[in-house]
Amino acid sequence: MTLSSTQDVRTGVSTPVLTLRGISKRFGPVSALDDVSLTFNSYEVHGLLGENGAGKSTLLRILSGDYQPDSGEIVLDGEVVYLRSPHDAHALGIHVVYQEPELVPFLTVAENLSLGALPSKAHRVTLRGIIDVAERLIVEHGFAGTISATQLVSDCSPAQRQCVEILKAIRDGARVLCLDEPTSSLAEDESQRLWDLMERLRARGTAIIYVSHRMPEITQLCQRVSIMRDGKRVADGLTSELSQDEMIRLMVGRPLSRMFPVRDSARGAIAVRMRGVTTHHVSDIDLDIFAGEIVGLSGLVGAGRSEVAQALYGIDRMTAGTVEVAGIQRRLRSPRAAIAVGIGLAPEDRKAQGLFLDRSVSDNVSLSVLRSLSRWHVVRRRVESQLVDSMTKRMRVKSRSVHSLMRTLSGGNQQKVLLARWVARNPQVLILDEPTRGIDVGAKAEIYQLINELTRAGMAVLLISSELTELIGLADRIAVMREGRVVGEVNRKHATEETLLRLALGMKEEE
Amino acid sequence: MTETSVTARLRGGSAKAGVIAAVRSTNFSLIIAIIVLMAILTVLRPTTFLTFDNLLNIAVAAVLIGLCALPQTLVILTGGIDISVGSNVGLSSVVCALVAAQSPSAGGGVLAIVLALAVGTAGGIFNAAVITFGRVSPLIATLGTYTAFQGVTYIVTQGKSTAVLNSTLNNVNSVQIATVPLPVIILLVAVVALALFMKFTDFGRNIYAVGGNPTAARLAGLNVNRYLFGIYAFVGFIGGVAGIILTAKQGAGVPASGAPDLALQSITAVVLGGAALTGGIGTISGTVLGVIILGVLANGLLLLNVSALYQPVPQGLLLIVAVLVQQRRGHFDLRGFLRLRRDPIPAAALKADGTE
Repeated sequence: MTLSSTQDVRTGVSTPVLTLRGISKRFGPVSALDDVSLTFNSYEVHGLLGENGAGKSTLLRILSGDYQPDSGEIVLDGEVVYLRSPHDAHALGIHVVYQEPELVPFLTVAENLSLGALPSKAHRVTLRGIIDVAERLIVEHGFAGTISATQLVSDCSPAQRQCVEILKAIRDGARVLCLDEPTSSLAEDESQRLWDLMERLRARGTAIIYVSHRMPEITQLCQRVSIMRDGKRVADGLTSELSQDEMIRLMVGRPLSRMFPVRDSARGAIAVRMRGVTTHHVSDIDLDIFAGEIVGLSGLVGAGRSEVAQALYGIDRMTAGTVEVAGIQRRLRSPRAAIAVGIGLAPEDRKAQGLFLDRSVSDNVSLSVLRSLSRWHVVRRRVESQLVDSMTKRMRVKSRSVHSLMRTLSGGNQQKVLLARWVARNPQVLILDEPTRGIDVGAKAEIYQLINELTRAGMAVLLISSELTELIGLADRIAVMREGRVVGEVNRKHATEETLLRLALGMKEEE
Repeated sequence: MTETSVTARLRGGSAKAGVIAAVRSTNFSLIIAIIVLMAILTVLRPTTFLTFDNLLNIAVAAVLIGLCALPQTLVILTGGIDISVGSNVGLSSVVCALVAAQSPSAGGGVLAIVLALAVGTAGGIFNAAVITFGRVSPLIATLGTYTAFQGVTYIVTQGKSTAVLNSTLNNVNSVQIATVPLPVIILLVAVVALALFMKFTDFGRNIYAVGGNPTAARLAGLNVNRYLFGIYAFVGFIGGVAGIILTAKQGAGVPASGAPDLALQSITAVVLGGAALTGGIGTISGTVLGVIILGVLANGLLLLNVSALYQPVPQGLLLIVAVLVQQRRGHFDLRGFLRLRRDPIPAAALKADGTE
């Protein structure tokens, strides 16, 4: 760790650290990786692009030692190595940080940072020692003020957890650091901190493999990019040589301009009118949503976007203010009550809050309308299967059958099932909280299309998103939140990433 | 693609998936285990084991565990547990005996039955209230009532057994329909009713949802607490039914009947039947098989003249072996097995379901 002086940053010479040669991996009939060869260099951030199912995750699992390739070899510093377990990979300095970091939630940050490497004297561990080591690590890598060593991991934000996981890798002297969709659960400011850290690590010679669906991140952060499709590496080159459109075309065979549908639905009667809505998390929210309209809700993580949804959906108790749904004032004290007046919510964390992973697609779709499908509480199966068939068809859910278990579906299809559940219920207002998080580009475009179709049928949509391009591309109006308040509303025509960010950060408009 | 070809394709697919699912399912391996166990016993005791009378004995002996295991399945499906059900059976049983001992008339017998059901249900409602309104974890709540109900049992009886001479009540045990005793009929009716309830009603489906993911269930508009309340109250009601049968069987209300053990035995049966203690996974049919395997094992040990002192050992080990087998089967992959190396669950990689 001697290269930390900034002078060396640009002079570091990229040399191949890790090379994959002809890696193949099959799972039964499915070829997850097919003869993939890649080289990762020191002093470089290497972007890995591809839709879900393209083989990126399998590749990372091979690098982490979770999977063994069927054929091919992994070369580290010119020597063939075998990664039989994560332990082997760590010993060789290869670390993979997954989307959901594997930390112990009920231990402090310091304790997690010392797991597997407890600072001890004659096997006597002192709390002080653990905290000292952790604090040194945190300060040294520029996280002072962001993470506290004595904080419980369960109290940490997703960004903080990610950083703890990366610090663990640094602690062990990672030479190759793989980040799997690191920003999918982060807000812009948190992402920025992560990128700063990546840049510092890169400057020290670490080879970083960066997996992301977000095109701008790839072009900004990565010197080199490899694109995967159907288990094969379809392109490899310097980022500067490829345009974003080119990359998307290589990934999916579809240009960016076709990502977002043309908004053509007519604005109808008022669906929801929130006036002065206040809960413990948000204050004085005024928001109107009209039928056939998509209203975006923007802001940094913690600004209270999801909390507006929670107030409207009857999860958080309102301490002041009124909610009118279709012109009638309502007191919504539970999700059940909200659903009864025609509000639906596809929550932020679809696996934890939305879906029943051990149940079938069919069960997941019909849940919200099961009562109305029943006579004397006996579910009429034919009516149910007709409904499920038509809904999954309309939402373009791809699964082997409607009896497939939910957990076997890809993220995009899981989200479509969640949409199908609400479409079956046909609410007047649908709240979509981060509907495309962690979903590949192709499925994203489909979901945008579906949302557009719903509004054409007269549904009002409240779209909460961390992705500014998504809000600008899809929403008719965007309300921006900061510190639990709506601080501005921008019409689609005037919305740019810059104006939205300025509002979200509370910066004055430049003259 | 035409409508018919789509449905044909779906049917073909689900039939094939059905066979694979059946082979992998918990029930399949349990049925194999039961067949093997019964084959061994038939060979060892050719004249006694596989007779109608002996099979009936197994059924009669399984009635109380079976009755407790049915609502226990629902509880475990919601991710909870009810340790107090056996104590509740004991309490209902002595209440039933005390009331029936007051009068030999038919009215006295019916009153005893009604009050036993009321006491059982009240016990269940107490658990339900503590768990849903008090937000106490089911394990703690029912651990408390497990002890408390036993205490009440001794208080109301002052520690003494009560003989029952009421013929109406004794009939509960002695009446036979086509040589099958009434308690077995009651168990069979309860099994069929509950299995149909879980499979065909919206309530049954919602119980799976509540157990599989309570947060998602609430956000999807289900009243999770109402379901939990109903289920724990239902456990109490069935506990009352079991209590009546226990009293009728013994011809007396015995405070030291050992009924509290029924709770752990019923949990054993449910877990044997493939239910996950984390909730959301489990079936009534699995539980029934779990009860059968416990019953056959107990009967077999008896026929083999194994001392009663030794019997709990194989029963306990069976549970552990069953769970070990179930865990292995989930990860079982012939390819990985033959190569003798740790292979990940293929399902994880097969998520390409949607992108194939």
